[in-house]
Amino acid sequence: MPKILVCYKWVLDEQDIKINSGNLSLDSSRAKYKISDYDKNAIEEATLLMEAYEGNVDALTFGSDKVKQSLKDALSRGPGSVQWIGDAAFEQADAFVTANVLAAAIRKNGTYDLILCGEGSADSYSQQVAPRLATLLGIPVITFVQKLCMDGSRTIATRKLGDCTEVVEVEGPAVISVLPEINKPRIPSLKQVMAAAKKPSQEIKLAELELSAEDIIPKTVSISVKGYIMNRKNILFKEASQADNVAKLVASLAQEGLC
Amino acid sequence: MSEEEKFDAIIIGAGPAGAACAYVLAKEGKNVILIERGATAGEKNVTGGRLYTYAMELVESGLYKQAPMQRKVVREQIMMMSANSAITADYVNYDFGTDVPQSFTVLRTPFDEWFAAQAEEQGVMLACGILVEDLIERDGKVVGVRAGDDEIYANVVVAADGVNSFIAQKAGLRDDICPHAVAVGAKEIIELPSNVIEDRFNLTGDEGAARMLVGGTNGVLGGGFMYTNSNSISLGVVLNPEDLARQGKKIHEIFQDLKMHPAIYSLIKDGTTVEYGAHLVPEIGFSGMPKKLYRDGLLVVGDAAGMCMNTGTILRGIDLAIVSGVAAARAIIANKSAGDVGASYMQQLEQLQLLPTMRLFGKYHEVLSNPRMISTYPNMANEIMKMMFSVDGTLPKRIDKAMLGIVKRHVTFGQIVADGWKGFKATT
Amino acid sequence: MSGIWIYSEDSVIAKELLTAGLELKVSMSQSVGVITLAGEEQDAFIAAGADKVCILKGQNPWSESYADAVADFVSKERASVLLVGGTLRGKDLAAIAAATLRTGLVTDALTVQYVNNGIETTRLIYGGLAIQTEAISLPAFVTVPPRTYMEAPAMAGRQGEVFTVKVDNIASGISVSSVCPIIREGADISTASRVVGVGRGFGKREDLAMAEKLAQAIGAEIGCTRGIAEDSHWLPSERYIGISGQKVKAELYIAAGISGQVQHVAGVRDSKIIVAIDTNEKAPIFAAADYGIVGDLYEVLPLLAGAMGEK
Ligand SMILES: Cc1cc2nc3c(=O)[nH]c(=O)nc-3n(C[C@H](O)[C@H](O)[C@H](O)COP(=O)(O)OP(=O)(O)OC[C@H]3O[C@@H](n4cnc5c(N)ncnc54)[C@H](O)[C@@H]3O)c2cc1C
Ligand SMILES: Cc1cc2nc3c(=O)[nH]c(=O)nc-3n(C[C@H](O)[C@H](O)[C@H](O)COP(=O)(O)OP(=O)(O)OC[C@H]3O[C@@H](n4cnc5c(N)ncnc54)[C@H](O)[C@@H]3O)c2cc1C
Ligand SMILES: Nc1ncnc2c1ncn2[C@@H]1O[C@H](COP(=O)(O)O)[C@@H](O)[C@H]1O
Repeated sequence: MPKILVCYKWVLDEQDIKINSGNLSLDSSRAKYKISDYDKNAIEEATLLMEAYEGNVDALTFGSDKVKQSLKDALSRGPGSVQWIGDAAFEQADAFVTANVLAAAIRKNGTYDLILCGEGSADSYSQQVAPRLATLLGIPVITFVQKLCMDGSRTIATRKLGDCTEVVEVEGPAVISVLPEINKPRIPSLKQVMAAAKKPSQEIKLAELELSAEDIIPKTVSISVKGYIMNRKNILFKEASQADNVAKLVASLAQEGLC
Repeated sequence: MSEEEKFDAIIIGAGPAGAACAYVLAKEGKNVILIERGATAGEKNVTGGRLYTYAMELVESGLYKQAPMQRKVVREQIMMMSANSAITADYVNYDFGTDVPQSFTVLRTPFDEWFAAQAEEQGVMLACGILVEDLIERDGKVVGVRAGDDEIYANVVVAADGVNSFIAQKAGLRDDICPHAVAVGAKEIIELPSNVIEDRFNLTGDEGAARMLVGGTNGVLGGGFMYTNSNSISLGVVLNPEDLARQGKKIHEIFQDLKMHPAIYSLIKDGTTVEYGAHLVPEIGFSGMPKKLYRDGLLVVGDAAGMCMNTGTILRGIDLAIVSGVAAARAIIANKSAGDVGASYMQQLEQLQLLPTMRLFGKYHEVLSNPRMISTYPNMANEIMKMMFSVDGTLPKRIDKAMLGIVKRHVTFGQIVADGWKGFKATT
Repeated sequence: MSGIWIYSEDSVIAKELLTAGLELKVSMSQSVGVITLAGEEQDAFIAAGADKVCILKGQNPWSESYADAVADFVSKERASVLLVGGTLRGKDLAAIAAATLRTGLVTDALTVQYVNNGIETTRLIYGGLAIQTEAISLPAFVTVPPRTYMEAPAMAGRQGEVFTVKVDNIASGISVSSVCPIIREGADISTASRVVGVGRGFGKREDLAMAEKLAQAIGAEIGCTRGIAEDSHWLPSERYIGISGQKVKAELYIAAGISGQVQHVAGVRDSKIIVAIDTNEKAPIFAAADYGIVGDLYEVLPLLAGAMGEK
């Protein structure tokens, strides 16, 4: 009956963010939020483990005041309950602060057999929070996991690193970060969405957590964010006849000295 | 699913009709689920967005005050367009804006999301991202819905799934939409600073303008509309698909031309288009509605029931959707046995003046589907204006003669009389 | 606080980081040292510009298990900067060390500079949509992706101080078994001068043959989007291009059946000419391309292969 926690981040959908052509500033006024893509894999994996080993899964998220909107989506994906911290501090939070906050929230809840994270968050993709979290909790971390199973208190994971895969084993609680290939997140069904509406969610106020003042002062400060645009020729060939299009393309490439 | 889990009502579609119905039911303590295929309510919804407030007042008095309304409409305008000119009738009535304003411009995405959230606060279970695929029937009675592998049951199912209702078709109440029963709509939201909008439309504060465009559709049957939102303009066209096909024109081309019309361009100039959408609109009005709006265990509301009308000066659908949602809710609340709900729903629609209104404007689409309305008369009117305002140093014609000449060139008197009579008949 | 330290479990990357470290050495006027697990490289590091080399000697070969030792060492040294080779193992180790010492860490930095008494970095966010400049208070930890800098060239007759630190890294709590290398097939696409990229526009694995034909015709390597490698497993993962995959700096990149989400485009933006083939005229890839053909790759690719082949 493993007790599992999954951490997910509620992020702006980068596909809705526009770059202002003038000063290259970002316009996210029309952007919707989403559960960070790879955290859906983490939630799915936690849920699969729960189903396989009759455990239970809690979800935990730290975000802005908007994070409340994420609870139903998260719960409909499997977790039995969710705890959320919605605070303005999130806007400036770096991985240092985020890990401090999550660790404090986890200590408050007692212990878990496994804590799952995504490989990286869709917005910052810093790939730090999982190892930081493990270090703060004083338990091992296994990153970049493509396959995961449990055997009593042992966890066996296959990691995938650039040049090799390795099977690692850990005894007792650990933090795991999963790769997106580990599973296909489910599309919540009607029954799952209905069930989510009945599941408990609990707000944790930042003030309730045992955090020192420094714990929530970011170590890295954003100086500027600029749209990263490319100037390309954007010449489109869209005649009905592909032969013509190809001919035109080849001619252009010849001009570029590429053939 | 066991009996005690059975819902009092399953509502399919979280548009204005569905949200209104769910809200009223939940407020009465009914156990309701509102199912929406979009990831959020309003995600999939396109509309020019003018909402008549009386409908919201039926849902709950004062509720509209919290709604994300854009501007209260005090300027009602009609623009008669011809190739390079336009006549705009601008009726301003500040009473429209006092105490409970008559109507507001709305943006559907935030409005629908807000409305569904209100229903949720009343205790409605809102299930987004779920497509209802089928109805479950037991001995001729609708008892529930199917989505994926899941089945859920209720006393009454309410089809609020919009124009071209797939659910009403499943229930055999509405056959596949025929092109002449619907119009196709396209619209853009064009962002502009609020002060620019106020200057261009002669508005102050949260006042708004609603403008119907007559002509300006390259002679294709239909019309356009323009609504001022807080810091954007909704510009759209609603066209007759058959006529589009007949004339071999594309809706987005007509739309582009409309935007480029000098009289329109000056209003949207320097704006940025932040949203484009296309959608069907029930066009025929009363005669386009299904013969029957209910079955044992099923009610059809809003666009799904063809409750939309276009008088040429006003386009109404959102308010009718809300009213029908309220009617359905009242019928469900009033009747223990699902069998009686249908008939009582029809009574509600009569009492709330929805059906009478639909009947009153019943023949209007015929008037509007008369090509003279969208090209001949606008052109004629513009030419008369031209004649009256042109000065080039030559000897002007006598006004009455010139006027006659222009009219003759466009129409026969017979036609004028006939059209006038039709227009008159259509409302009496 | 003094000293710029470099760590990577991969000695080639360590030498790349020396280039960055030597730039900082000038602006910060502090010494540069290398922390390594590979004692045999000590002279090479010194020749490449290291003033000091610290060899960590433990019993556990698993490089992640050196995180505490690295943290320990840099805190003892009161290092002001730690540059870590941005491999997955490196990022893992850096994050653990940063948490232990409660320091800031920037991963995948494109640039690292010393600006008004702090370290300033740039990195991509939102999958490559935007570039963020950040200031890190010292001590600053930064991971730098492989091949961001050239290897620092060896200079004759440099002197440096070498010392070895014994490390007890047995009890990491994690036991590693069966490490199996992923054999790289074909050339490294990150250095290829021409690349044909394939995406989910391909219906079946077999269909990739069309892309290979084109690749042969123009002497290109095959790359792909993440899904093709990680979900479909049609190609090995070192073939996938993007923010979390390979960065290609090709003369010519041809994207076929690739929608061009920002995360993918982030990996090809340094290519000189980008060509896109996609059925959907609205696909973002066309905005990122110099030339585009709106059409079915099943029709276009064979034609293109033929035409390019003749040339
Ligand atoms: C261009 C245009 C301009 C218009 N302008 C105006 C105007 O200015 N004023 C006005 O009053 N009216 C206007 N209308 C009409 C108005 O938009 C509609 O009458 C109104 O939206 C009807 O509301 P409804 O709730 O019945 O349907 P909808 O608003 O269409 O809502 C139906 C909902 O059901 C969901 N749904 C559908 N099928 C399923 C399913 N199987 N399972 C789950 N969910 C489903 C849909 O996603 C949708 O959210 C306009 C329409 C158009 C197209
Ligand atoms: C944090 C994060 C990191 C990521 N990192 C990466 C990364 O490093 N690299 C990466 O690639 N992705 C990455 N992704 C995933 C990325 O967001 C996209 O999902 C992915 O790139 C899409 O791959 P695709 O273009 O092959 O598939 P799709 O997006 O499905 O595109 C398929 C395209 O093929 C076209 N098509 C279909 N049939 C045909 C035909 N017959 N002929 C021509 N065209 C056709 C379609 O129109 C479509 O444009 C990342 C995502 C996240 C959240
Ligand atoms: N604000 C947050 N709340 C909850 N979990 C988070 C948060 N930020 C990051 N995580 C988790 O840490 C993982 C790695 O994030 P990052 O280090 O930002 O790339 C994510 O995939 C999440 O599982």
